[in-house]
Amino acid sequence: MNIRALLSRPWIWGFAAAVLVWLIIVIISGQGGGQTVSLALSLAPYLVVVGLGQMLVITAGPGNIDVSVAPIISLAGFVSVAVTTSTGSAVVGVLAGIGVGVVVALISTVSILGLSVPPIIATLAAGLIASSVTLSLANGFTAVPDAGLRQLLNVRPAGVPLLAVAVAGVTALVIALLRRTIYGRSLIAVGQNRRAAERAGIPVARIIATTYLASGALAGLTGSLLAAYIAPSADLGTRYLLDSVAVVVIGGTLISGGRAVPVGVWGAALFFILLDGLVNLVGWSTAAQNLLKGGLVLLVLFLAGGGDRVAGTPSRFRRRPRPAAATTTTTGDNTHG
Amino acid sequence: MSELLAPALPALPTRARMRRTAPAVVSAVAMIIMIAVCASLQPDVLTVAGLSLVLSATVPLVIAAQAQMTLMSVGDIDLGIGNFVGLVTVVSATTLVSSPATGALILLALVAAYAVLGALIHLRRVPSLIATLGASFVWLGLGLFALPTPGGTTPEWLASFGTWQPAGFPAPLLPILAVAAVVYLLTSRSTLGVRMRGLGSNPVALERAGLRPLASRVIAYATAGALGVLSGLVLASQTGGGDVSSASSYSLMTVAAVILGGGSFHGGSAVPWGVAVGGVTLGLVSVVLSLLDVPTNMQSAVQGVIVLAVLAGRVVVGKVLR
Repeated sequence: MNIRALLSRPWIWGFAAAVLVWLIIVIISGQGGGQTVSLALSLAPYLVVVGLGQMLVITAGPGNIDVSVAPIISLAGFVSVAVTTSTGSAVVGVLAGIGVGVVVALISTVSILGLSVPPIIATLAAGLIASSVTLSLANGFTAVPDAGLRQLLNVRPAGVPLLAVAVAGVTALVIALLRRTIYGRSLIAVGQNRRAAERAGIPVARIIATTYLASGALAGLTGSLLAAYIAPSADLGTRYLLDSVAVVVIGGTLISGGRAVPVGVWGAALFFILLDGLVNLVGWSTAAQNLLKGGLVLLVLFLAGGGDRVAGTPSRFRRRPRPAAATTTTTGDNTHG
Repeated sequence: MSELLAPALPALPTRARMRRTAPAVVSAVAMIIMIAVCASLQPDVLTVAGLSLVLSATVPLVIAAQAQMTLMSVGDIDLGIGNFVGLVTVVSATTLVSSPATGALILLALVAAYAVLGALIHLRRVPSLIATLGASFVWLGLGLFALPTPGGTTPEWLASFGTWQPAGFPAPLLPILAVAAVVYLLTSRSTLGVRMRGLGSNPVALERAGLRPLASRVIAYATAGALGVLSGLVLASQTGGGDVSSASSYSLMTVAAVILGGGSFHGGSAVPWGVAVGGVTLGLVSVVLSLLDVPTNMQSAVQGVIVLAVLAGRVVVGKVLR
């Protein structure tokens, strides 16, 4: 594969940025970069899991976004820890966290499909409801995360965290889901052109519902694991709202839908985690951390450009001249239908 | 573009016009119900002083929602407006106090930054949602840089605006109505507004007509930046200090306000009066809830339920009018 072909891969930018930041870390710290990678691999999976859910939602087409992931993560954290403590089983706790995500996503789904509420508003409202429940639960919350689950999340045979391997497996499953299953193919068809998909007999409502429920479940899973890894708190998920959307788009998934790039989520998530590591290493404040993150997101975004997002075709077809109408359509086409 | 034809139609409320205004009417009904609930719980609300108190909390949100509406009329969306407003409060609590000239220049530079952001979004053909998301990190970082912890003081003229109490009418109505009127003149009655909405509804047609979509988008972003600055100044005048995260909920709340006011994600429509109603409705929720003694924990849930209820009401009204 030559450089040109490599550069045309949508997921390359996230990995390139991650490698760049990693090199800077290695140069500054003057130590081997292996430990840095190992640490990044133990933190990135949480962002990847919630990012994969967000990616499925965004792939469903213009206007689809799940802004309820942050409140779901916080709520699922509390619920899973509470359930683990009362039943004594971490598995039941994690399942309860996933269930919470599905329940919140159910509110969004019913509003989107039943009341034709725009997804950003529906998930916002569902998230507001979830965050109220979180605040009520957080009052006088005393249960502590399960020690066994925390140990499992910290297992790093040969420097590779077990969780990273598991989440890599999940990513492979998502890739297979998108490429090989009827649901995956339908989701991409709906994302490319909802009306055409409808005419082709695809059950669009069912596909959209499944997608939001999957995103809720993945966010719930993230919350359960994160609460065991760190500790449950009301703002456990706060940073994951912006980060999940950012990693999906930096990863090469089309924000206008119809093209999902699960591998890219990994690259972008590693980029974000390594960036945090770099800022901590240099000892910069959270101010500089945010400035750097925002500046780099914009830089990667503007460098990569959005020229190919109009075509909605896999990258190998990109060389074809685009029709004039398509090239002049800019962000406005985010909002059809 | 049907708004353009509206003046030529007879003044009778046509079915199409009713359909267009129905969303804002539903929100207005919700707003009136909420004021009525307030008044029944606390009769003082209906006095001038009471209304000022109740409405003042909604002013910054309403102005920020007008900024969001301007961008949504060109088919874009701004998820950075909350942190931007927060950054403006920080600037007005620090530099604007110590050296007013520099502070004013910084605020102008922030408006220019919005225009540049719009230009880059257009030229690089990137989605506005993710670009403004990236920008929101930058606003947050800048705000934390200037003022790591909430504090500072507001300039005297700003503070006196915050406590201004004219006799005869509730003071907060003035900024709400004035901003809505200015935005109405700009987006609905001017050539620039037609170009902006044209960009939102059909960018290809705009270009074929020999007009530059880039200019329209840049003007829309500059307008949004200016309204964001205004919103931040008003917020600072009320809180009497700067806090970069004081308005972080605005990013999504303003979108909700625009939708409640009858705007859409499709671009091409501008609803400044509806947005004023939608913003006040959303802002009033917390006032009603505190009068009802609802625990603060539950406030956001009720806010969410009310947004869904109003939108459900719109679906019903829309079915009746069809």
